[in-house]
Amino acid sequence: MSDIGRIGPSTGVVPTEGAHRIPVLPRGLRRAPSGIDEVATEHLIVNMGPQHPSTHGVLHILLELDGEVVVAAEASLGYLHRGIEKLVEHRRYHQIGTLLDRADYVSGLHSETALAMAVESLAGIEVPEKAQWIRSLVMEVNRITSHMLWLGTFGLDLGAMAPFLYTMREREALLDILEAITGSRMMFNYVRPGGVLADLPAGIGVALDTFLATFDGYMDEYDTLLGGNEIFVERVRGVGVIDATTATAFGMTGACLRAAGVDYDVRKAAPYAAYAHVEFEVPLGTVGDCWDRYAVRMEELRWAGRLIRQLLDGMPEGDHTAKVPKGLRPPAGESYAAVESPRGELGIHLVSDGSDRPYRMRLRSPAYFNLAVIDEALSGGLVADAVATLGSLDIVLGEIDR
Amino acid sequence: MSPLLQALLRTLAAVALLLVNGVVLILMLRKVLARLHLRLGPTRVGPWGVLQTVADVFKLLTKEDFRPSGADKWLFRLAPVLVFVPSFMAYLPLALSDTWRFSDLDTGVLFVLAAGSLVPIGILMAGWGSNAKWSLLGGLRAAGQQIAYEIPLMLSVLGPVMFAGSLNVAAIVNAQRGVWLGVIPRWFVLPQLVGFVIFAIAGQAETSQTPFDMSEAESELITGFANEYSGMRFGFMFLAEFSNMFVVSALGVTLFFGGWLVPWADRNPLALALGPAVFMLKTYLGIAVMMWVRGTLPRVRVDQLLAFSWKTLIPVSLAWTVLSALVMRAVNL
Amino acid sequence: MRPDVDATTEILTAAGVPLKEASSDTLGVVCRIEAFRLEAALAALRAVGYQTLVDLFGTDTGEAVELTYHLRRLGDLAEVYLKAIVAYDCEAPSVWRVYPAALYPEREAAELLGVSFAGHPNPKRLLTTEEVEGHLLRKDVLLRTPEEVAL
Repeated sequence: MSDIGRIGPSTGVVPTEGAHRIPVLPRGLRRAPSGIDEVATEHLIVNMGPQHPSTHGVLHILLELDGEVVVAAEASLGYLHRGIEKLVEHRRYHQIGTLLDRADYVSGLHSETALAMAVESLAGIEVPEKAQWIRSLVMEVNRITSHMLWLGTFGLDLGAMAPFLYTMREREALLDILEAITGSRMMFNYVRPGGVLADLPAGIGVALDTFLATFDGYMDEYDTLLGGNEIFVERVRGVGVIDATTATAFGMTGACLRAAGVDYDVRKAAPYAAYAHVEFEVPLGTVGDCWDRYAVRMEELRWAGRLIRQLLDGMPEGDHTAKVPKGLRPPAGESYAAVESPRGELGIHLVSDGSDRPYRMRLRSPAYFNLAVIDEALSGGLVADAVATLGSLDIVLGEIDR
Repeated sequence: MSPLLQALLRTLAAVALLLVNGVVLILMLRKVLARLHLRLGPTRVGPWGVLQTVADVFKLLTKEDFRPSGADKWLFRLAPVLVFVPSFMAYLPLALSDTWRFSDLDTGVLFVLAAGSLVPIGILMAGWGSNAKWSLLGGLRAAGQQIAYEIPLMLSVLGPVMFAGSLNVAAIVNAQRGVWLGVIPRWFVLPQLVGFVIFAIAGQAETSQTPFDMSEAESELITGFANEYSGMRFGFMFLAEFSNMFVVSALGVTLFFGGWLVPWADRNPLALALGPAVFMLKTYLGIAVMMWVRGTLPRVRVDQLLAFSWKTLIPVSLAWTVLSALVMRAVNL
Repeated sequence: MRPDVDATTEILTAAGVPLKEASSDTLGVVCRIEAFRLEAALAALRAVGYQTLVDLFGTDTGEAVELTYHLRRLGDLAEVYLKAIVAYDCEAPSVWRVYPAALYPEREAAELLGVSFAGHPNPKRLLTTEEVEGHLLRKDVLLRTPEEVAL
């Protein structure tokens, strides 16, 4: 039991300072504070990931275990680092979308929209109203596909196999619809600076209607299958509590922050696209445990369905894009634009030097900040709780590692 | 026929049943789960995918059989045997009908349970011998879980045993002949409903099926104790799991559902001749229900699992055993 | 919402942090300060309700590394950007005691831009492995394949 894998130079245990402790896990075993009388026990350091069924990709977490109780946790990132922020500096503005699709590969339309908004704010482009509505529509559809993937994998993390395959049913239906709109199932490159690539195809309203007709019923089914199951409730209630103070201090956003009762949703705080023209509520939790994160996302799913209905009904006539020159050269300056992605506030910070490529682009990835809290959230729980908590954070490694 | 030859043939028959069960159950699991999960399961290999398991066995046979360099050589090699052999031993006292049986043990029920309780030793050996942290956690979980659920399982079979006055499986089945009040089949599941529920829960735990698949716990421990195993060593552990499912279901059918008896026709010669088929049908129905549970429920947490057994299941089963004994005395069933 | 530039200047000056420059442009309220005063400045802003560090990142200006701290007050959604210049391979204070959210981005900025953060409790690389040479987000690190540059 010697090999503990890729871990940096050991700096020993750092004493707890400030409100938050920062674990630095040593190599090998650490002698535990004597447990039962004089019996010497040792803590076990295990590598969870990068090949592990519940790390949602290639996350690598070092867990220090006392029996099955997690004493400390440290994430080791970068297995999916492709240097997107660097590559972007060599791309023209309309070429960046393809890279961003590969950052958050579960909800590409959100990062595309954030980028488009940042470029538009720099270059002073007016986006036609129809394009704004289409953006909101596809983003809400994308939100359902993303949350469905989360719901299914969250079930899998807790050992329930059935919900995963049921949620794929909804996801498939919506991915087909997204393919009809954007031409692609996941790597869309549909939202461009100035508007969207193409107008909605004919018949898309009917397709979405067909989907929405069964959606609420299926949501009730999931609520019964998971939320109505005593085993599930026991596994998530009071587990992985991240309170409002911790969540804000770590810069958490999205459902993870709202589960702790903090009312912050970019769609309400700084309405973009067509969100100022539709009515919706932001569901909030109270404690910030796995159950609250589950409940908040389930409610968000239902609201996404209602939003799609409103956006379809109110879809204005007009152009789907403004006229934007191919070699767009925004004036020198900086801009920041954020959207509420399924994982939280996804921001694009652009620095332009007046050329046709960004001087610097920073992707403010929500899951990156949501993940930073894992030591606080996992310590003290069991390995099984660690899996549940990690699942409830809804991380996408493509976006964390960039 | 010499007794030795007879014994050999009986053993071979049990092995054959075990292997056929393994092949059928693996396909059945896939098909049942597929039906539950809106998918198809295997369809390509052979008609309706029936040859998929055969193909899988060939795959397992041809796979490299490796042993991690730090593993304990003998524990690592012995563990699959120790997991597999008890699950095979548990077949021996089972009776498919009055005449179709591998052995005639007067302590049959006890023997099945005793054989079953050897399995966690093998799992613990596999977990320890692999010299891998996740495997070790899986092995330790298995040990804790099996000890905790063995007790309610033992207590839950006491009811039918007291009713029948015997530990011999044939005697227990034959005690379930006839009807109560002229219509209700005299199956022990009715007076022993609580006992049956305890048996079903503990049986699900004993076979390490979801929601009690602690030692495997795919999303937590990857595959737990079997992490480092490949090829047929893994195959044996896999087979043992399915064979345990069969044993538990067969035991449940014997104790609570009248074994090979057809209700209201338990003296009909034709029905008795079909006994083995009836027994298999009932057993497979039981397995289907176990698979249904497995495909539906999430997994409980390890501390909840143990707390549930020690704090709820064992007191309830103790109380139930005492209660049924008292009632039996009082009404003299 | 944009807070008043003057109000922000006042808060920072009161905390003993002189501003090199304060402006309100396309980005919002931007205050430039000396790098060694970052911790004091952020603590002062946190004390007036900027609970969230939205983002922290570095930019290679060609002469030095510019660190940007993006803060937000959740109550009225006021946002402030703090900027500080750090010379290549030099040190800035780690602000994780004020904002634990800075833990990851500081490690990232350190490895990708070649600055260090004094007092960081876990100053390891975050995204790249030990074998990677150079600081990838610096402008003098070029992409290697001709196809990528030719776009």
